[in-house]
Amino acid sequence: MREQVARTACLSIEGLTKRFGGFYALNELHMEVAQGHIHALIGPNGAGKTTFFNLVTGVLPADAGRIVFNGQVVADTRPSKRTIKGIARTFQNIRLFPHLTAMETVMIGSHCRAFPSVWKALGKAVLQRPLGEADEERQMRENAVELLEFLGLTDKQDAKASDLPYGEQRKLELARALATQPRLLLLDEPTAGMNPRETDELDDVITRVRDRGVTIILVEHDMRLVMGVSDSVTVINFGTKIAEGPPEKIQSDPLVVEAYLGEDVQL
Amino acid sequence: MIYQQLINGLMLGASYALIAIGYTLIFGVLKLLYFAHGEVFMVGAFVGLYLVILGGANIYVALLGAMIACAMLGVIAVYVSVRPVAKNRPLAPLISTIGLTIVLQNLAVYIFGGQQVGFPETVKQELYNFGPITVSSVQIFILAIATTLMVVLWLFIEHTKMGRAIRATAENHETAALLGVNVNRVVLITFMIGSGIAGVAGVLDGIKNSGISPFIGLGAAVKGLIVMLLGGLGNVPGAMVAGLLLGMIEILSAAYIGTTERDFFSFMILILILLYRPTGLFGTRMTEER
Amino acid sequence: MLDGLLDGYTRSLLIFAGINVIAAYSFYAPFKTGQVSLGQAGFMAVGAYASAVLTQKFGMPFAVALIFGGVVAGSIGVVVGFPALRIKGIYLLLLTLGFAEIISVIALSWDYVGGAQGFRNISFNPFTLEYVIGVIVVLLVFFARLERSSLGRAMDSIHQDETAAEVMGIDVVRIKLLAFGFGAGIAGLAGALYAHHATYMDSTTFSIMLAVEILMFVVVGGGSTYWGPLFGAAVLNAIPEFLRALREWLELVPVEWTNFYPVNRAYDFLHDFLDFENAKRLIAFGVILIVMMILRPDGLLTRDSLRWLRLPRWKVRHA
Repeated sequence: MREQVARTACLSIEGLTKRFGGFYALNELHMEVAQGHIHALIGPNGAGKTTFFNLVTGVLPADAGRIVFNGQVVADTRPSKRTIKGIARTFQNIRLFPHLTAMETVMIGSHCRAFPSVWKALGKAVLQRPLGEADEERQMRENAVELLEFLGLTDKQDAKASDLPYGEQRKLELARALATQPRLLLLDEPTAGMNPRETDELDDVITRVRDRGVTIILVEHDMRLVMGVSDSVTVINFGTKIAEGPPEKIQSDPLVVEAYLGEDVQL
Repeated sequence: MIYQQLINGLMLGASYALIAIGYTLIFGVLKLLYFAHGEVFMVGAFVGLYLVILGGANIYVALLGAMIACAMLGVIAVYVSVRPVAKNRPLAPLISTIGLTIVLQNLAVYIFGGQQVGFPETVKQELYNFGPITVSSVQIFILAIATTLMVVLWLFIEHTKMGRAIRATAENHETAALLGVNVNRVVLITFMIGSGIAGVAGVLDGIKNSGISPFIGLGAAVKGLIVMLLGGLGNVPGAMVAGLLLGMIEILSAAYIGTTERDFFSFMILILILLYRPTGLFGTRMTEER
Repeated sequence: MLDGLLDGYTRSLLIFAGINVIAAYSFYAPFKTGQVSLGQAGFMAVGAYASAVLTQKFGMPFAVALIFGGVVAGSIGVVVGFPALRIKGIYLLLLTLGFAEIISVIALSWDYVGGAQGFRNISFNPFTLEYVIGVIVVLLVFFARLERSSLGRAMDSIHQDETAAEVMGIDVVRIKLLAFGFGAGIAGLAGALYAHHATYMDSTTFSIMLAVEILMFVVVGGGSTYWGPLFGAAVLNAIPEFLRALREWLELVPVEWTNFYPVNRAYDFLHDFLDFENAKRLIAFGVILIVMMILRPDGLLTRDSLRWLRLPRWKVRHA
């Protein structure tokens, strides 16, 4: 069943380029991400991975190249429009809303689904029945309860985001991203700062997210996680692709080994 | 006629530049919009005035006294409204210095009254003719003091150890601290220097306009802000040039268009700079933080 | 309606305090999305002049002029809000300050609205207090509903991390613009109410210091909850009046009770201290502001303190 779905590309990147001054963070990158895959994007520090995320989500504008998502060219410049199309992400250095509770944080994620227009949101905010809750709100809350349970944060729903321990903040960020109902989820170093037990847990979580029908692009330094969980791997260095294929093949690729020489990473 | 206006513009610009230097120095090391700076300028003018009236001091003593008094005020400002204030809230130091602004301004109203006070003639008024231009001894005196101050400051910033420390702190607090710079001391000294210069500017302004009031601070603060932005945040030479530029623009627009439109032009410049060249005309020395 | 209950002085006092409350909400609306504006006095001026032109030059009734003032200020707010989207922090502060100054220069140089002589003989509206109370009630209900709505939460998220909110699909541009325009509109209402009570204004009426006072109401009251602006404006307006009343009571004390050392010294000191003319009032405000930033940088009321006080937040219990 999965093999059939996997034939269509969820995301294809055609000649994506980004310069910072004279420095090419990404140079003519081509890449295909199959529907329903966990696709790892690896490379040494400064290879352009986070830049790639920023271009795909629209946080930064690309200098050249096309991003095709679900067969359509992504042309919107603003990140929120891309999120509504179904692209969500997490951040390498966690960016939660410190004063919101876990529940409220997840509900922020589903805001764009419940209230696609600001006017509708304003109308519901002002005209809803006195003391009552708009139907959309109840829907968002139920959705959030489900997602918090999915990530094992049920008992933390009323805790402030900034009061949660590090590992749970990462999970909360993931729950918030899932609440936007993405078809493509970009995870930027989800294990950074996690202990080995939390990393193992994450392995399981990522697979379960994939099984919900979400395609995942994973940027990660923990090679054990990458090789264990991904369906395919793309290796980039200096902004260009140097290898691509299933994890087993990547591990033995001489170019990849060379790129990682000097870096303290075990393949 | 135009030369005469240019001289007037230069005079106005010199005092703008002196205020903006302090602003930009302080903004450089603290990334703080230090609202009370205009009031320091006002306090300097009053200190100078009272030294002359009550102490019978000559103008150089008055200038020096205003400089020292304002430098001390800068120290007080740091201890009262900057250091104790919560660091993790970007708005907090801004608002506490707004509080200091209100306190200083109304303290002056309370002590000196809300009226304009005449500034005695301390520099003998003589007129010199250079071809078509007439320059007064007061103008020469003000320009000489302002220029000297700017040159000394520039030399200090570029060529002394403390000057380097200030520049390093303006670039990045953490890096400066790693390089062995005592950031707290640098902040304190920056406030002293900036405030001292503003005090001198206040006295010069009193001599020039032959009158001061407790309300001159706010206008000076706003003009100083425009100049700081025009010159590029944290850029000291930029502030000097931009100050002269704004002075010229204001005097020329007042002379050839109208006095009420004068401020209109300054604020249009402010808005256009904010929208199209937020780094100022000569580039900023820092990156804006999120 | 309230004529029988209040003397003219109290009435006028309540009106100015109420206008300050409305102005505080005009600051609160954009602040909820993290936009700090020093231009609210400028928007008040726009509303005041626009409404006064309508009643004086076109003979329109006050109610129409009030709405007109709000709409004009709100529209200009959207126009200013567009460029304001691109900048943040001190740049936004300076932009709004520059805008307010330009408004004041226009008021000074445009003879149609009185120019340097000021706008004189604006028709007096005898029901200003009723209007003020009405507007405050509407604003309170509105912001109470906003606070527990999804839109309100989205605004909070923008305040806390704009980029993260945008990436989570929040339409940051529209919401910030809406909040800025809305705040400007509220300021316009406050200005229109002011103009038709004071009946005179000029280019210095709506100054930077007024903008700073407006900011102060919200900062002191607390910017994280909709009770904050009301509370801050009420407290800061009440303090001088309270001290004035205290002084009047003090004068009721018979002279022979205090006319001996050291009580007479203490009495004189207290009597002087409570003489709260404007400069002293503002000095005290400045000190309060600094102390607040040191001790309670989030304001007197925060959501946590409200939860503790169990003031109504109309919070719906959830599963």
